Amino acid sequence: MLLQISEPGASTPKAACRERVVGIDLGTTNSLVATVLDAQPTVLTGGADAIVPSVVSYDGAEAVVGRAAVARGEANPVDTVASVKRLMGRSLADVAAVAPLLPNQLIDDAGRMVKLRFSDGRERSPVQVSAAILDELRRRAEADLGGPLGGAVITVPAYFDDAQRQATRDAGRLAGLEVLRLLAEPTAAALAYGLDRGTRGTYAIYDLGGGTFDISILTLVDGVFEVRSTGGDSALGGDDLDRAIAQVVLAEAGVAADDRAAVRAVVGAARAAKEALTDAATTALAATVGGRTITRTLTRDELAAIAGPLLDRTGKACRRAWKDAGFTPEELDGVVLVGGSTRSPVVRDYVRALFGKEPLCELDPEQVVALGAAVQADVLAGGQHDVVLLDVVPLSLGLETMGGVVEKLIVRNSTIPCGATQTFTTYADNQTGFDLHVLQGERETVEACRSLARFTLRGVPPMIAGAARVEIGFQVDADGILHVAARELTSGVSAAIDVTPSYGLTDEEVERMLIESFEHAEDDLVARNLRTERVEAERILAATRAAMITDVHLLEADVAVATEAAIATLEAARAGDDYLAIRAAVEGLDRASKPFAERRMNLAIAAAMAGKSVATVEAELGR
Amino acid sequence: MTATHLPDPFGALGLEPRYDVDPRALEDRFRQLSREVHPDRFAGAPASERAAALSRTRAINDAYQVLKRPQRRAEVLLAQAGVAIGDREVLEPAFLMEILELREELATARVAGDQAAVGRLAAVMRARQRALIDGLAPRFAALGGGDDAAILAAVKHDLITLRYVDRYLDECDAALDE
Repeated sequence: MLLQISEPGASTPKAACRERVVGIDLGTTNSLVATVLDAQPTVLTGGADAIVPSVVSYDGAEAVVGRAAVARGEANPVDTVASVKRLMGRSLADVAAVAPLLPNQLIDDAGRMVKLRFSDGRERSPVQVSAAILDELRRRAEADLGGPLGGAVITVPAYFDDAQRQATRDAGRLAGLEVLRLLAEPTAAALAYGLDRGTRGTYAIYDLGGGTFDISILTLVDGVFEVRSTGGDSALGGDDLDRAIAQVVLAEAGVAADDRAAVRAVVGAARAAKEALTDAATTALAATVGGRTITRTLTRDELAAIAGPLLDRTGKACRRAWKDAGFTPEELDGVVLVGGSTRSPVVRDYVRALFGKEPLCELDPEQVVALGAAVQADVLAGGQHDVVLLDVVPLSLGLETMGGVVEKLIVRNSTIPCGATQTFTTYADNQTGFDLHVLQGERETVEACRSLARFTLRGVPPMIAGAARVEIGFQVDADGILHVAARELTSGVSAAIDVTPSYGLTDEEVERMLIESFEHAEDDLVARNLRTERVEAERILAATRAAMITDVHLLEADVAVATEAAIATLEAARAGDDYLAIRAAVEGLDRASKPFAERRMNLAIAAAMAGKSVATVEAELGR
Repeated sequence: MTATHLPDPFGALGLEPRYDVDPRALEDRFRQLSREVHPDRFAGAPASERAAALSRTRAINDAYQVLKRPQRRAEVLLAQAGVAIGDREVLEPAFLMEILELREELATARVAGDQAAVGRLAAVMRARQRALIDGLAPRFAALGGGDDAAILAAVKHDLITLRYVDRYLDECDAALDE
């Protein structure tokens, strides 16, 4: 489901299991999985290569992923999907520019997320294809770590919008992963760098991958990584450069640019030539098109000329990002290169000239994102690193108002999690519903922004026009995903909401895909749910008991009684086989211990504000 | 639609409500509070505690977002002084005419793809934005001198003017992005 509609404060963030957590870089071209072993972030291989090409083949009975899929793709391109990341959370109309170049059959789903049709007669969502890649990474990690994963941090381009983030999270769920967090790729890279170098200062992270470009400006102070601004283009990467080279070659050879097979053949050769130019000043490019061989030499200067317009697009995003952050390039302490495409000297020269300083690239630009994600997973699992990441929402979020104008509720580059509320009133007597349209983007008009969802609010009590006051709350969680809640203020009624996501999958669709993905669907799902709920019950029992001992003085008598009772209920439920009963008992314990949790949090804040230790504040409060 | 109602952002960050906030001190406070209550630090805690950390962090982030911008800070102080900015505030016709003309110039430059002209229009408006914001500090400093109502009215006028200026600059940015 695209928009999470919930009661204010009803949603609770996830908890990490303490063992076997990983970071996953789900890239356009390549994917990697890493974990922290002995306080050191390490890439996992599952006995194979560290880098898994993000290619999935549905050539046979089972999905094949990685190098094997690349091989199959040569014989059967129609049933092999590469660069699926470009299709995530996108409609057919959105991907019109790249669609003709893909060998796959793309299908419009009534303007929602595009689907792919394969020779086996089945249609699959890009979410399912991405899940196949994640599933392969999960299996490799489990082979290396010797057991099921407790959870994963999955990285997304910083500039991914809400629909793209939702799609990524759904893919994680489908792959059987507990998604602990979606983390922006440049932020992950900064984490890997910052820890290595013990850095302070403000840095730009220039991340040019296979299909996406991100720029983030971050300040690092004492373990706090604060993203000041982010920008980019979620459809610009090394793939585009390959195509641009191919177009030049095809034009010279007099081949029509809409000849898909010819374009594909030349794009492959173009990529090889581009990569060769990383170490050489000149290379030969050869491709067979329609039985005829096209050969040409390509120089680094020519590559620079072809790349120019694409790099200028990255430059524009960089200028806006440093302006948004309130910095000039001279004031930055450095610029870090991330992403396979930054290996090219042409890109490095451009970045050096743009920022006026030598770019930093000590860490492998293809591994650094996965390594940083592993560190964040470790932090969430209660590991040793004393760091906090303060990420931002990349694009403004708003509602359509009269005349097709977008009213922004949350502006871009706001630190997440964040929220905003807006109050609406009725314009007709006895009006009991509202239609609301949620959008993301920077422009003033609805047409120029991206539609996230439309929803209808029902159940507003009938009143005279203007009397009802409906409060719409936007809340962006730590994954950068929007949640919407609505309440009628005069009556206190929480209105029911019907949501029509513009691109994403509904909860029912994800659930159905999940069931389809299990061979013995029902049993497996129940067993998995039971295991998950038992682990959660274990964890919450331990944490609650520990808090009751350390902060016993904050525990009021009635809260203590209620909490003890809820603990007993949970222990009984955990012994049984009913995962829904365990879940209910966990929620019961949460409710019972809420006043205690609030008091503990208030004390922590009071101490931080006063710049004192918790103990000092407690003493002053006379406890 | 009515105006967004705000909780007290100064209170959320434990700061005294005043216009001349030291940006460095504000940043330090924000980071320090984030370190204490960020949900990541409570990932292994019971759900009620995680939920509390999430809502506190959200309040801290929202407050920082407001207070780090002088204009938003001024809006909060104005509202706290009991002066509201409504949906349909009217400015003097001369100003509205001028904005209208500048918008037409911008539209013309945009249609013609004349980025240099858009840049010039943006620079002029940005200077005006700067001047208006710079003028806020002396106004707030003069509060308490007996003429508060007139000062607050002037602040209100500046803030409404700034809304027009901001919207214009947003359009300039959009044009420059094309």
